Amino acid sequence: MRLTGLAILAGAALAATSAPATAAWRGYISHSLGFAFAAPGELKVEKGTYRGAVAGARDTFVYRFVDDNIEYKAVVIDMSDKANDAATLLGEAEYNFQDGKKVLMDTFGRVDRQFGRKLTIDLPNNGGRTSAAFWFINGRIVTLQATVLPANGDYDSPEMGRFVDSITFFTVRAPDDAIELPVPSK
Amino acid sequence: MCRWTIAALAGSALAMTALPAHAAWKSYINRELGFSFMAPGEVKASVGTFRGNIAGPRQTIVYRSVDNNIEYKVTVISFIQAQAEGATILGEREYMFQDGKKVLLDTFARVEPGKDAVYGRKMVVDLPGNKGRSTGAFYFTKGRLFAFEATVPANGDLASSDPSRFVDSVVFVLSRTEPGAVELETPALE
Repeated sequence: MRLTGLAILAGAALAATSAPATAAWRGYISHSLGFAFAAPGELKVEKGTYRGAVAGARDTFVYRFVDDNIEYKAVVIDMSDKANDAATLLGEAEYNFQDGKKVLMDTFGRVDRQFGRKLTIDLPNNGGRTSAAFWFINGRIVTLQATVLPANGDYDSPEMGRFVDSITFFTVRAPDDAIELPVPSK
Repeated sequence: MCRWTIAALAGSALAMTALPAHAAWKSYINRELGFSFMAPGEVKASVGTFRGNIAGPRQTIVYRSVDNNIEYKVTVISFIQAQAEGATILGEREYMFQDGKKVLLDTFARVEPGKDAVYGRKMVVDLPGNKGRSTGAFYFTKGRLFAFEATVPANGDLASSDPSRFVDSVVFVLSRTEPGAVELETPALE
């Protein structure tokens, strides 16, 4: 009996050490940009670029995390000079996201009085699977994208949905201990 | 041989008269509102109402025609003061179109090429209670929400290509309008 108990304990310990180390999820908030979300792993702030026929060439501001071979990105694109074209700019970004890729889901997104779009695509050349949500708020395109990389391989992972569905535009809904995101510099 | 020819001619004449009478498709343009489209039948203008949680209560401008048992409707709503909210206002309208209905198609729509592109959404839904099928295309541009809807009743030809022809005929760059388009008047709102 004691031997069985020891074996179970040893098995559990082995299972715990062999399972992938997943980081805790934390809340993040940007009062100046007007949104909050949750993500695991270490935050890195990066700059990128975006180009659309209507939008033109744009700099992007990226909040990026990687955990368990899943990449999480919150991308902000300032469109304040063309905000009157909000609907088309958002539509173009959604279209570009899925153009030439295999679309698995394309549906309404609705959060805090904002209507947007949620899409899931398979990346070309077995590059993984990305779930994304697109919004246009306060003159900016805000998109959350989670990509399960081939090294992870669990393409049905609920973590993608957890990330893109974590966004809120009512910042009072963010957890009290949410970490303030750095403000994009122009 | 001659008798056979006469019989064939008579038969085809009979078939033509038995077919439903289709009105010719015409191009229509409203320069003030900045769009044109094609539709069959007599297009009549009217004023209506719309209410959305986000859009709020709004007066609408409606252009409507009926031909071969299919209703063609263009609805224009002004949001000049809320253009930056266009994406959400458009999303709400699209959502309302399909809410509680069976969605057969929901895809990207784009009018005009390149930097002039206007992105929207095209949808086909079956109406509840087996009341027919609606094809819709929705755009928000230059401060106005445009809804193009063609509805075939349950006893109509649900596979008709005319609803698609209607919603695909929209033009926002007016230089691309077909020559000879009929000028539409803009009804006065209160």
